[in-house]
Amino acid sequence: MKYAVNAMKTLADELFKDFREHSVSEFFRKNAAMLGYTGKIRSLTTVVHEGVTNSIDAAEEAGILPSISVMIKRVDENLEHLKVVIEDNASGIPEEFIPGVFGKMLAGTKLHRNMQSRGQQGIGIVGSVMFGQITSGRPATVVTSTGNGEIVHANVMIDVDKNEGKVLNGKKLKGDWQGTRLELELKDVAYVRSRYGPFNYLRMTAIANPHVQITFVEPDGTLTVFERATDKIPERPKPMAPHPWGIMSDDLLVLAKHTKSRTLAGFLVAELSRMTKGKVKEVQKLSGVDLNKRPSELTWEEAEGIVSAFKQIKFMAPPTAGLRPIGAAEIESGMRQILNPEFVHAVTRPPKAYRGGIPFIVEAGIAYGGGAGKTAEGEGIETEGLDLIRFANRAPLVFDQGGCAITSAARSIDWRRYGVDVATAPLTLFVNLVSAYVPYTSAGKQSIADEPEVHEEVRAAIMDVARELRRYLYRKIRVKERQQRASIFERYLPIIAKKAASLVGKKEPDIKPLLKKVAGVEDA
Amino acid sequence: MPKVEGRGKERKKRAEEKLVALGAEIIEDIARVVPPRLKIPSRSTSNIVYDEANRYFVLGPHYGVRSAASIKQVKKFAQTMCVADFCKELITSKKFATLREMYYTAEGWESGPFGDQGESDAILEDLEAAFGLKREDLGLTPEEDGAAVYGQLVIKEDDVTIDATKAGRAGYTIPPTIDDVEFVKCKAKRVIAVETMGMYHRLVQEEAWKKFDALIVGLKGQAARATRRFLKRAHDELGLPVYLNCDGDPFGFHIAMVIISGSAKLAYINHELAVPDAKYIGVTASDIVEYELPTDKLRELDIARLKQLQKDPRYNTEFWQGEIKKMLELGKKAEQQAFAKYGLAYVVNKYLPAKLEQVEGQKFLGAG
Repeated sequence: MKYAVNAMKTLADELFKDFREHSVSEFFRKNAAMLGYTGKIRSLTTVVHEGVTNSIDAAEEAGILPSISVMIKRVDENLEHLKVVIEDNASGIPEEFIPGVFGKMLAGTKLHRNMQSRGQQGIGIVGSVMFGQITSGRPATVVTSTGNGEIVHANVMIDVDKNEGKVLNGKKLKGDWQGTRLELELKDVAYVRSRYGPFNYLRMTAIANPHVQITFVEPDGTLTVFERATDKIPERPKPMAPHPWGIMSDDLLVLAKHTKSRTLAGFLVAELSRMTKGKVKEVQKLSGVDLNKRPSELTWEEAEGIVSAFKQIKFMAPPTAGLRPIGAAEIESGMRQILNPEFVHAVTRPPKAYRGGIPFIVEAGIAYGGGAGKTAEGEGIETEGLDLIRFANRAPLVFDQGGCAITSAARSIDWRRYGVDVATAPLTLFVNLVSAYVPYTSAGKQSIADEPEVHEEVRAAIMDVARELRRYLYRKIRVKERQQRASIFERYLPIIAKKAASLVGKKEPDIKPLLKKVAGVEDA
Repeated sequence: MPKVEGRGKERKKRAEEKLVALGAEIIEDIARVVPPRLKIPSRSTSNIVYDEANRYFVLGPHYGVRSAASIKQVKKFAQTMCVADFCKELITSKKFATLREMYYTAEGWESGPFGDQGESDAILEDLEAAFGLKREDLGLTPEEDGAAVYGQLVIKEDDVTIDATKAGRAGYTIPPTIDDVEFVKCKAKRVIAVETMGMYHRLVQEEAWKKFDALIVGLKGQAARATRRFLKRAHDELGLPVYLNCDGDPFGFHIAMVIISGSAKLAYINHELAVPDAKYIGVTASDIVEYELPTDKLRELDIARLKQLQKDPRYNTEFWQGEIKKMLELGKKAEQQAFAKYGLAYVVNKYLPAKLEQVEGQKFLGAG
């Protein structure tokens, strides 16, 4: 699990002060929808997403091949009362950090590094603990060991007034194991095996992260293992200061809670790249926010104003180094492993820039046949046809499909030109947008804004893989035709020989050389 | 006089030779690793032309090639070979089969059954056209018998000798296998073929066969292949002139014309069937006027048919163009049996002698 390595104690008091003004629960409730806790299905998927993301990150950071297990089970007769158990094989969490990691909102370490990242920033797993606590009233259960022979069991609750994690019933057992197991009890959630549910989320995660093994147990006991397809742990992205064009309101808010600067103006210059005093003045003018106030007093609305001002201002472009695509070979092995298709092809395009300089890379993969194109649309209902799976920095984008630039780019393609009927073809189309500054349409981070450069690049990537598919399909048709052709000659040429011999009253001539010549049959 | 065609046995021998040659050619191709090809004269309408010199329809110079190397043709090629082998078996075992029997036999062939009888018929027609031989020579017969013949002709079918004056009132029935029939003796000097069996029986009753030294043939409407083959043999082998007596309407005209010039559909085999020297002595528009025959009004169908015939190359003679035009002007038609107006024997005693005098230039029965 992700754990705060430093600065936890020094920041605690400050955070405590911040959240007296508007309590953590109030903050959470206010922003729950934007953080992914909206609707019974989506809330559950968000919890799984936060837990799995944290686990993968923690394992990768420790240089361990991630093996994640997720179990969702019913607690009682209430179908909307579920327990989610997420277990990893990462480095474990030292006992003293448990309350901070799981109980302190806006205490994450990711934002300080601001790198190309999978998850929701700042709220993360604490949001899930919070969600569980609010809906079920039950604490989170954490079982963790750093591999030192001790296994810590702890029930963690968030003290909403103090924004602090509290450990209840902590105990230690002897045991030889390493990793972390988190159990959350949730109410007002629903488990369905649809494209929006945890199953599809994990399946997509497995495709985009072929180095991860995911074991999943559904409420009805169904066990699914998404095996890993490669033993290569991806290179970690390099941390870098965030660029104003790539930052979102919640990112800015979390950064502001942690800065040592005394004014918002100073905070912006210190924490963001390519930000100068001159640019700060422009921000002030465009947003109308008083930049002399204390960063900790920044409200969500003000953060939104500042972020929208950033978009109207010209900055020097962010550096292109540090983009970490999955890689064509890894995408192919991921799709092959999970979908078992008859054909797969992937490309990683060279870096491009949108909005005048923000670097990004588009990757696309296409899988045909086998399990490709089979989408769970609801309980037991599987549809065929093109299944588009979208990713941003390897993280599945499951919701808000309609408004996404990837969707509109995929729809803009004339698939018939590639010999594909999208309504029936067993086809899975994979698109991953890689950038430290993914242009999300909203704080929900589930769909990508229709930036012209992004749209065009996604389109180009899809056409790259679609062309290969076309070649494959045509080759397949040719092979099939050749076989059919050969079988027709194999059937009728010997009859001609036999009947000719009968007409003459002679021995049948050897038809094999002619058969080989006419039908190209080698072993006729 | 045209050359006398060989009869059944020799014809079958020729068919067998062609079949063996076909097999030998294919075996040689296979041995040389060359895809066998069959050249089949095209039977499409664009390749059916009227041969002015011979006065019947023949196939033009176009032909199709059926190649064993073609994915679209190899099955049909194999089926053609199966048909050829089936024919060879029929010939060797001295048997006949109908087209329908062949179609059913094909159920058990290696090349698989035919979709419908049209397919198997077409393949047989391919062989007929390719060899220039009739299906009868290949051992296949039409379903129906030919017409009836009455007159001084003695024929031999296998071991049975038949006198066509002693075969009952209905006369001798021409079998589908007419080429196997041997003409033993013939005292008749001409053939008079009539469209309807009513007229046939009238001529038999009135002893027209004796009065005119004629073989009376009842066509039973549109003449069957066997009948046409009989007329052709009577003309070619026995040297008899053939006269055709039909109703005075476009359908009667055409019954005669198919015997004379062959049909377009059978263009590939007309040299075996057409009797270009046969003469029409049936009811004409002029007869309607001259004999004041009882008539029917031309129906729309008749008018349309007459207009078609006007454009048909087979009718491109002064006689036919004149008669067709006259009939259209009259708007009337008449049947052969309309002469009964003047008594049952009139047709034999008056009409036919007049007609025959016209075509042969000699008087019959003292009439004229």
